[in-house]
Amino acid sequence: MSGTRISKGGLIDRSTLLRFRFDGRDFTGHPGDTLASALLASGVRVMGRSFKYHRPRGVWGAWFDDPNAVFNVTLKGDELPNCPATTTPLVDGMEARAVNAWPNAESDIKGGLDLFHRWLGAGFYYKTFMWPDWHLFEPSIRKMAGLGAVDGKVIEGYVADQLHDHCDLLVAGGGAAGLAAARAAAEAGQAVVLVDDHATLGGGLYQGDEPVEGEEPRQWVATQEAAIRAAGGRILSSTTVYGIYDHGLAALAEDRGFARAPRLWRMRARRILMATGAMDRPITFADNDRPGVMSLQGAAEFLGRYGVLVGRKIAVLSNNSQSTPIVAHLRAAGAEVIEADPDEGTLRALDGKRLSGVQIGGRKIDCDTILASGGLTPTVHLWRHAGGKLDWSAEKAAFVPGAAPQGMVAAGAANGTFDLDPALAEARAAALGNAPETVATGYRIKPLWPQPGAKGRQWIDFQHDVTLKDVELAARENYVSVEHLKRYTTLGMAADQGKTSNMAGLAAMAAIQGRPIPEVGTTTFRPPFVPVPMELYHGTRRGQLVNPLKRLELEAQHRQAGGAMCEYGGWLRPGWYGPDQETAIRAEVLAARQAAGVFDGSPLGKIEVMGPDAAAFVNFIYYNTISTLRPGHIRYGFMLRENGLILDDGVVARLGPDRFLISCSSSHVASVELMLESWRQDGNDPDRIFVHDTTPHWATLTLTGPKAQQIVAALDTGVDLDDFPHMTLREGQFDGAPLRIARVSFTGDASYELSLRAGKAGALWQAIMAAGAPHDLRPVGVEALSVLRAEKGFIMVGKDTDGETMPHDLGFGVPRQKKKAAFVGDRALHSDTANAPDRRQLVGLTLPEGALPLATGAHIVTTGPKPRSIGFVTSSYFSPTLNRPIALALLEHGSERMGERVTLRHMGQTATATVSAPCALDPEGERLNA
Amino acid sequence: MRDDSHKWDVPQNFSAPLAGPGVTISRIIPDRQTLISAPDILARTPGAAGWPDRAAGDSYTLCLRRDRVLEVNGPARTDGWDGQQAVSDITDGLTIFEITGPRAMELIRRGAEISDALPSRSAVRQAFGLEVILCRRQDALRLHVARTEAQALRKQLADHITLM
Amino acid sequence: MQLFPCPFCGLRNEREFHYMAEPGKFRPDTSSQISAEDWAAYLYDTRNEKGRVREIWMHQTCRELFVMERDSVTMNVLGSTSLRASAGEAAE
Ligand SMILES: [Zn+2]
Repeated sequence: MSGTRISKGGLIDRSTLLRFRFDGRDFTGHPGDTLASALLASGVRVMGRSFKYHRPRGVWGAWFDDPNAVFNVTLKGDELPNCPATTTPLVDGMEARAVNAWPNAESDIKGGLDLFHRWLGAGFYYKTFMWPDWHLFEPSIRKMAGLGAVDGKVIEGYVADQLHDHCDLLVAGGGAAGLAAARAAAEAGQAVVLVDDHATLGGGLYQGDEPVEGEEPRQWVATQEAAIRAAGGRILSSTTVYGIYDHGLAALAEDRGFARAPRLWRMRARRILMATGAMDRPITFADNDRPGVMSLQGAAEFLGRYGVLVGRKIAVLSNNSQSTPIVAHLRAAGAEVIEADPDEGTLRALDGKRLSGVQIGGRKIDCDTILASGGLTPTVHLWRHAGGKLDWSAEKAAFVPGAAPQGMVAAGAANGTFDLDPALAEARAAALGNAPETVATGYRIKPLWPQPGAKGRQWIDFQHDVTLKDVELAARENYVSVEHLKRYTTLGMAADQGKTSNMAGLAAMAAIQGRPIPEVGTTTFRPPFVPVPMELYHGTRRGQLVNPLKRLELEAQHRQAGGAMCEYGGWLRPGWYGPDQETAIRAEVLAARQAAGVFDGSPLGKIEVMGPDAAAFVNFIYYNTISTLRPGHIRYGFMLRENGLILDDGVVARLGPDRFLISCSSSHVASVELMLESWRQDGNDPDRIFVHDTTPHWATLTLTGPKAQQIVAALDTGVDLDDFPHMTLREGQFDGAPLRIARVSFTGDASYELSLRAGKAGALWQAIMAAGAPHDLRPVGVEALSVLRAEKGFIMVGKDTDGETMPHDLGFGVPRQKKKAAFVGDRALHSDTANAPDRRQLVGLTLPEGALPLATGAHIVTTGPKPRSIGFVTSSYFSPTLNRPIALALLEHGSERMGERVTLRHMGQTATATVSAPCALDPEGERLNA
Repeated sequence: MRDDSHKWDVPQNFSAPLAGPGVTISRIIPDRQTLISAPDILARTPGAAGWPDRAAGDSYTLCLRRDRVLEVNGPARTDGWDGQQAVSDITDGLTIFEITGPRAMELIRRGAEISDALPSRSAVRQAFGLEVILCRRQDALRLHVARTEAQALRKQLADHITLM
Repeated sequence: MQLFPCPFCGLRNEREFHYMAEPGKFRPDTSSQISAEDWAAYLYDTRNEKGRVREIWMHQTCRELFVMERDSVTMNVLGSTSLRASAGEAAE
């Protein structure tokens, strides 16, 4: 017989019935139940199939330590895969299915796999599927492996709330020690947060159901909770401290109910008190994974919290003294209990799926349930997250907290203090920062570890199906370090992260090698302590908020004009206007060349550099000489990194003797501003230079084309356009607001860049559209602008340059030779690399009319038997103006190859082109003044 | 290039307030915002507020850096370097959201590690992944954010109030 | 997640900070001849020490450059000084 619900006791509400289904059958439970406790109470034992061999499995533990019962659960149409049955609270209407089992856990069709276990040991996949190619086998293996299945539906509103908080003392764990500590600290005036993963606090107090300081456990817990709250302490239940990070930051996941994303608390604590208790260890023996073999502590939890007796006739195999109160509790609840020393002889669980007894040496005990306890292991994960050390306690046969991480202290069972009264005293002292007096432990244990060479299949890791033989195999193949053992066998790598298997695994390795356990050591503990959904980490940062783009003031106007909004360098900008991309780009280019185009250049940087040292500073920052620039004038230039590579290009205008306006490229505003700020404070006098990034205050609309001047003239700006040469700047006004007009051109046609405060941009757009209508003005998107500038051979940094490009590669070699004053990157322009004769230089590629445009990225190759890449295409378009394809490329010895025919290769295709100057249109620049 | 128009909500002018449990978010349109930088600017503006200082009145000054303040609704000033300080009009560059209600701080704590126990000279900080200027003004909290990122901030705030 | 002390702002979350460089390096006067070795050392040599280190960081929200002393093993922060204030001391 298996589990039953006893008539009284536990923390469940028997007056309310909850209905649910498991593997197609109907069951009932009560509020306070977990899926596992309700199934056990209904006599269900097989709750899953193992990961690799599809062995039938029941629950081992009653809480986060259970490796076996993992369900796909559906509630009101919301399905979640991989819900641990032991930690999923039962909700009326749930439909649960065991994962990795079909049609159900009781009679899984792949159960036959277990017969092949001889060939499925550790490293089986690595060794077997090497030839001819792992990828041939991967799909079917992936399909067979794994746990739950995702149904592919998005749960509406499954978004994690995330918040920051802080406290003086964070107590992790609401058992006896945690409650005592939280109360002591709160009453001493500390801001305390007590966190416990159960809905009901009390930790292991319900296992033995013994009085605590003279009170019944439930009463004692209620008293402590009331006192904590009265003293101003906060209690977070159903919340797990799943990670400790630097400088006292604890990550907490608060359960908010099924199919609702948990809430993330980023709790900054001055001190953290770890009162996380201890876990029971399995005993390693033949067929110790059979349904009905459970942890003694787990059985006690099922009884104490849920009123479930896990068996009628129970064999208790315990090597330690924690069993005494639990056995008494089990007997009081009506079980027949036979206690046996697990060290008495070789152990074996009998009769597969329906447990009938246990063999101990020559003796057989008839029973329906085996409760094993290999000793207590303090739950030290959080201690290790924070960098705390562990000490080996031979007396307790366990790793216990050693040297403490800064700001952290452990108390109670988590600290190896397994006896109640000493644990309470220790917790209270620790809460106040005092050292407790040491009390001799009453806990007794006779160490019992895996026996290498033992017969039968002895499970170490239940969830990943790792046996003692696998550990022995790993040792034979020299994977002896625990970290190697883990990766080779996958021991401890399942969703339970080895909570039950790590100790057994390293103890097995120690025994195989004849080394002491502390010498073998533990693997690294990392957050999260329990599985948490990815949503916990990203919170609201999804969809448009993953990486929000910067937005234009005139976005609505662009959309209204048919703008296709695309992502360019962190901005959402109109790529073209109209439903068909190709047609639109062609029309926009032709309009800009033949009449006029208007372009939203608002993302262009507007960084002002001001102060008495501004001129010298800007001259130092730029590759080009800027100090000679006169107020009202504009110069094009490069900014370099100290290694001589191009950081950005753009124009700089001098607004006054002590004032410069840097118009860096749209995607580089932040990096340029940071670079300016760091040079300002490092090596310059920051009291004489000030850098203001005013970019978001401004909007910029650029008019370009033969009709641009007429359109600007029709606006009321107060600027005289007749005396306004290229590369100068004038200040006027529009609609009462200051207006800057810059004559710079990225298209090669006469252009007027109009900038004014963003709030007036809508009015300016409207005025320009009205003034431009008689002149066939068209809005021009980023794509058409890219074509226009490529026709002129103007580069875009990051597209026509790469991580090796220096300005002299682009034909801007004069400052390198002539500029006397120091500037960023100057020395690097004279390195051996910079002087190398075979540097890739910017060229144009000319193709005949009717040819297809080259692929961007196509390689220019040498001919002959062993072709070599000597360059590549950086920009390639069809030029509507020239009615033929154009391209820019970086090419070795490019400037010496003018007129040379070159071969290009791309994805198996070959093309030819003629090397030409980058500028394909109006090389004399006559259009600028047309 | 890919047309992503449909992926992005069209920014509104944020004139309708957002309301959640215990919080209301409204947009404030200032008359003027001015950046002023000078070596001695903090000495000359002793009232420049940091965190958790409380700004008062229609016109107030926030401390941004060792040598920079933001003047909100101050007098009109001429942009540029006047021999003593660098001045830039930034009125349209920073969008202001005001958060009122008893849970205003709770909302801010969704996006920043902030508390009165962590005072700061500067009112600039990272919140909700964006650079913002955050201050108390009377009983409310004010967030000044780059206009170009206002949509992102507002959307985050809207999301968070549904989860609080 | 660490808390770093900006000399101007006080303690702030590490996300607001950006590592810049190791202190103690000075830009050679490039208006005179600089050997390739000296320039390469200026560009690329880093000590990358374990344990107690001094580093230049930028507090990005207030743009302060400062020297932070911390332990690269324990992550303990030992102090911070504005780069302006430490300029004299760094020239030692
Ligand atoms: Zn700072």
